[in-house]
Amino acid sequence: MSVAPPEHATPDVDRDVERNTDVQEGLDRPWVTIVWNDPVNLMSYVSWVFQSYFGYSRKKAERLMMEVHTQGRAVVSSGSREKMEADTEAMHGYSLWATLQKDE
Amino acid sequence: MATAFKRKGPQIVGRLGEQERGLVVELLTQTHELVAPAYDEVTGDVFTDLMSSMGEGPGQEELADRDSALRRLLPDASRDDPEISAEFRRLTEHGLRRTKATRLKAAADALRGESGGRGTKVVLDVAQAQDLMVALTDVRLVLGDRVGLQTEEDGERLQARLEASEGLDDPVVVLYAYYDFLTWLQESLAQALMG
Repeated sequence: MSVAPPEHATPDVDRDVERNTDVQEGLDRPWVTIVWNDPVNLMSYVSWVFQSYFGYSRKKAERLMMEVHTQGRAVVSSGSREKMEADTEAMHGYSLWATLQKDE
Repeated sequence: MATAFKRKGPQIVGRLGEQERGLVVELLTQTHELVAPAYDEVTGDVFTDLMSSMGEGPGQEELADRDSALRRLLPDASRDDPEISAEFRRLTEHGLRRTKATRLKAAADALRGESGGRGTKVVLDVAQAQDLMVALTDVRLVLGDRVGLQTEEDGERLQARLEASEGLDDPVVVLYAYYDFLTWLQESLAQALMG
């Protein structure tokens, strides 16, 4: 797994959600990847991971990081189960505490 | 004495005392030993290696007996569905262990290597600095587990214990002092990489 920052930003969560509510997967609730708060992980590092892996803007990465920090968890991505397994695997690769589940 | 890492053109440059550098290398190496897959024979045959990397996954017994620090490095992928967690481990655990082991070794080599710097100076390229920053997360998770750091309150309690300690007789204080030092080091790498 590469930890190099991507050259171009990839679509963000909101657009991913939209794409998955279209006709093809219309009846399925999407899956989500959740990152949980952990007292070990540094705020700067968590924000760096969200920018590097998901290609989120610094602003969006920091908002999600603060949500993890203050609410104890944040939905960081959404899509097919396979995609969420890949995202959870990547988060574990960076040693963030992540889980996947069907969207509530 | 260590100084914070700073970006200098294409490089990330900082300073570590000889003992500090040795300590970080040693902790990276110990974490590597903990996380490296038990069976990792690479035959060179692409198909065989792919199949062996997607084996049965860890059994119930092995998981139950597993070192709590290793459990923290490889958490369940679902909070309430054991089947999702088991399937996820079967597909990803071997690869994750190999990824982490490779990165821990790369980070230790970068710090140890002759090219890494002369004397106290540590010169890393961006990829090496990222490897070290991510690898330090694994080391800090292991040290955090060893000193019982589960919540923010545990952190405050341990910090107070460190500040109140006169010497380094208390093993928990020693491990927490290492943890605290690596926190500072990782933060400095994150700032240098994002700045």
